[in-house]
Amino acid sequence: MNKKERFYKLLEENEFVFLDGGMGTMLQKSGLKTGEVPELLNLNQPELITSVHKAYVDAGSQIVYANTFGANSYKMAEKGKTVDELISAAIENARKAAEDKALVALDVGPIGQLLEPTGTLKFEEAYDYFKEEMLAGKDADVVVIETMTDLYEAKAALLAAKENTDLPVIVTMTFEQNLRTFTGCSVGAMALTLEGLGADAIGVNCSLGPREFAPVIEELSKWTKLPIVAKPNAGLPNPVTNEYDVTPEEFAESAAKLVRYGIKLTGGCCGTNPDYIRALKKALEPLKYEKNTPMCEAAVCSAEKVVVINQPRIIGERINPTGKKLFKEALRKGDIDYILGQAIEQSQAGAEILDVNVGLPEIDEKAMMVRTVKALQGVTDLPLQIDSTIPEVIEAALRVCNGKAIVNSVNGEAGSMEKILPIVKKYGAAVVGLTLDEDGIPKTAEKRFEIAERIMNKAVEMGIPKKDIFIDCLTLTASAEQANVMKTVEALHRVKTELGLKTVLGVSNISFGLPNRELINCNFLQMCLTNGLDLPIMNPNVASMTGAVRAYRLLTAIDVNSVEFIAAYAGEKTPPSPIPKAAGGETHDLMYCVKNGLKAEGAKVTEELLQTTNSMEIVDNILIPALDKIGEDFEKGIIFLPQLIMSAGVAQAAFEVIRNNMIMNNSAPVVKGKVVLATVKGDIHDIGKNIVKVLLENYGYEVIDLGRDVDYQAVVDAAIENKVKLVGLSALMTTTLCSMEATVKLLREQYPDCKVVVGGAVLTPEYAESIGADFYAKDAKETVDVAKRIYG
Amino acid sequence: MNTVKIEPISRAEALRYLAAGGSTPDENLSALMDNCEKKLLSAAHGKFTFRVFDIENMTDDEVALAASELVLSGKDISRHLASCEKAVLLAATVGGDVDRLIRTEQVSDMASAVVIDAMAGCAIEQVCNKAEEVIRESFPEMNMTWRFSPGYGDMPIDCQKKFVDAVNASREIGLNVSESFIMIPRKSVTAVIGLSKEPIEKKRRGCAVCSMRDRCTYRKNGSRCTY
Repeated sequence: MNKKERFYKLLEENEFVFLDGGMGTMLQKSGLKTGEVPELLNLNQPELITSVHKAYVDAGSQIVYANTFGANSYKMAEKGKTVDELISAAIENARKAAEDKALVALDVGPIGQLLEPTGTLKFEEAYDYFKEEMLAGKDADVVVIETMTDLYEAKAALLAAKENTDLPVIVTMTFEQNLRTFTGCSVGAMALTLEGLGADAIGVNCSLGPREFAPVIEELSKWTKLPIVAKPNAGLPNPVTNEYDVTPEEFAESAAKLVRYGIKLTGGCCGTNPDYIRALKKALEPLKYEKNTPMCEAAVCSAEKVVVINQPRIIGERINPTGKKLFKEALRKGDIDYILGQAIEQSQAGAEILDVNVGLPEIDEKAMMVRTVKALQGVTDLPLQIDSTIPEVIEAALRVCNGKAIVNSVNGEAGSMEKILPIVKKYGAAVVGLTLDEDGIPKTAEKRFEIAERIMNKAVEMGIPKKDIFIDCLTLTASAEQANVMKTVEALHRVKTELGLKTVLGVSNISFGLPNRELINCNFLQMCLTNGLDLPIMNPNVASMTGAVRAYRLLTAIDVNSVEFIAAYAGEKTPPSPIPKAAGGETHDLMYCVKNGLKAEGAKVTEELLQTTNSMEIVDNILIPALDKIGEDFEKGIIFLPQLIMSAGVAQAAFEVIRNNMIMNNSAPVVKGKVVLATVKGDIHDIGKNIVKVLLENYGYEVIDLGRDVDYQAVVDAAIENKVKLVGLSALMTTTLCSMEATVKLLREQYPDCKVVVGGAVLTPEYAESIGADFYAKDAKETVDVAKRIYG
Repeated sequence: MNTVKIEPISRAEALRYLAAGGSTPDENLSALMDNCEKKLLSAAHGKFTFRVFDIENMTDDEVALAASELVLSGKDISRHLASCEKAVLLAATVGGDVDRLIRTEQVSDMASAVVIDAMAGCAIEQVCNKAEEVIRESFPEMNMTWRFSPGYGDMPIDCQKKFVDAVNASREIGLNVSESFIMIPRKSVTAVIGLSKEPIEKKRRGCAVCSMRDRCTYRKNGSRCTY
């Protein structure tokens, strides 16, 4: 019997499986000081550790957690012992106490540093830390990943466990009473993601007492069919006495009330000791395990948000370069902010899931996809649909995707299914199946239905739940194949009703080559919705399209009492304030907009101006003088930072209009010069750098924005690659100034002709000089002055 | 762990953080601030936790805490805690949703991002003030010093990690420290408050121990931030 079978046998043979209680609590009682490292005791006082385990085994614990919670190489750096030494010793200590009466778990806690995008630790680095722990802990019987507050970190750990051991894996996270973790992860998102990734049991530990656990466990039981774990604290700690406030009896009584929500494995966390486990065992003895019955609807999620597909949900299609010059340009330049802007715009317009396609022949699609997925997760809580045909790109995206994504797509070809479906299964994603195969798109509804069925059978055979298979019956353009439009609708209806699968469809192609496309798209969308379309892939920024979905939900009584519809449309649309016409005509208006921070109006006025005025004239005669005046007022203290930035925002919007106009007319936008900007390695305070970026772009400079926490060499490489004459570096912490110095030094060595301007709250002109920077800029305005001196 | 509801943000204080202290915002800026406040109040979740330690040993440039490995070093912290019997280690945050909000606003509207960033500074200040109230209530018979944070004066910022561990802030309020000792979530505070049975000389926090004293915009203009 292997370890996994043994674990499942334990679950099968017991109504409830008892875990242990607090380790730290016991060690503190034995004299462990605040700040001492409990993991070192595995080597220094092995008998003490074994005695704690033994006390738990004697109290009835059937799985004991080895003393390895913080035994990762980040936390153990400079402690003089390797992860391998500490974990091996810890497991041996636990094994001595467990003998054959209990299983020994490798206990894996958080690394101790937050992951991107909130923190600086990269997902891949987190994986490596966990991998090291998993390899060191192979002799354990179970892996327990616990006290996680970041779903992304839990995912890195779970992947590391699955890829480097054959052990069963329990994952528990820590929730607050608002049913979220500190990083905003919801209970449903946790369940969908971790179950998809193949955890063997999931649950909740730490933070709350057993009474406060009830709503969290109740919520969890709605989302997972896995065995549920509950390991609460002994109430809450008193900061003055450091004692917990729930007695063993109260603890057990409250924990027993969790049985109705399907708990299968239970123990205690901070503040609990063997008495709590004994009491718990006694309280649960007369009770029967009540298996949880989760809801069965299809659902996808980000870490924060679950989207249940129990009604039509809008998939935003705009993150896709097909047929979009501006998007292609952004991809070539690696302009991630452009893509993020598309995401936020769609999200505000009503998108509920975002399709992500960054395929362009001349770029590294895999690298761009990973970068895009990571960046999107920093600014939107919408679940993602990974849109690519290349298995390597799909896998790379799913790996770094925080949540449960959709893969777009697989098709009926044997090769496609063999390559894509195992990836979908491994990462627990949902998948779009296109009803085409080796012979192309079938003309008949019957044939498309057959392909859908084939994809379904294959996916289910590979272990993908039926509810996670979405079928796309493929839209053909009405102008070319008018007779086939209804075949799509018919196939969709059959897939929905006869196979019971969710349906997805890109609707916009229907009108290709026709005038008034919006009208056709909107009508086609309504026809499809009525025939069972669940996931329209569409442009949510078109009000009539999003409106059609909202109206459908209202008319079919999905939007009960029209709450969402009213929220979307009632009253909130106040018309923009009219632009006061200044004497002297329109040119004055743009200047007025810039000075008064009127962004939308500024863009509109610019569009109008472009009908009559040359773009360079607008820039040189209106925008730059307006910005100069604003800058002057800022320096004199007449206006302040927020107004400066508001004005810069208007200018940015105006430039955007001008730039788009130029690209559309195939004339290259005039660039005064390129500047590389970065917030240095180790620093994440990038708001100042981003203000500088806006202002530089205002003045016609192209900014290559490397973001924050940027490696020294990456700055140098970007500077050389783009042949820039100026690099701007920012740092906000005294502790990251050394990174700035190192970056400047490296630039000097490898690209000596380039000038460097530095800025940031902790910098002084003297310090800037001492690290060899050419210029110090106290604010964004001064940085522009520096750029002017260099590029003119 | 205690939670704190963030109250409406003082405009004057927010303007001070925006280096516009003492100015009167025009209509546009007022509207922007109103809008930003709304967003911030729905994203900010104030939380704090603290631990109380007996002061075991104190020299001119070091304070050792009882039953702890943590040593607070620097002449300034020694002076700060002189005559105190206990030291309260406080950790407070407005939570990670604020970081996300500021990130998102930076993409869609930089001016909002800057204003929210400043307002979040006011919000964390509210959390700390509330924490002080709770601490005061826990020790009605003691006198309290003001809040002294790692990085002030000569107290090294690299004690941040041990500090956060000592109050179990990662588990209790979700506060972590990066390798460069940056606190995450970004809008967070750690501070030491001394408790003494004897009255404490009321010292202003002042510029002397302020980590920004060499670079302060207010000082450069010959004024002060009045903190």
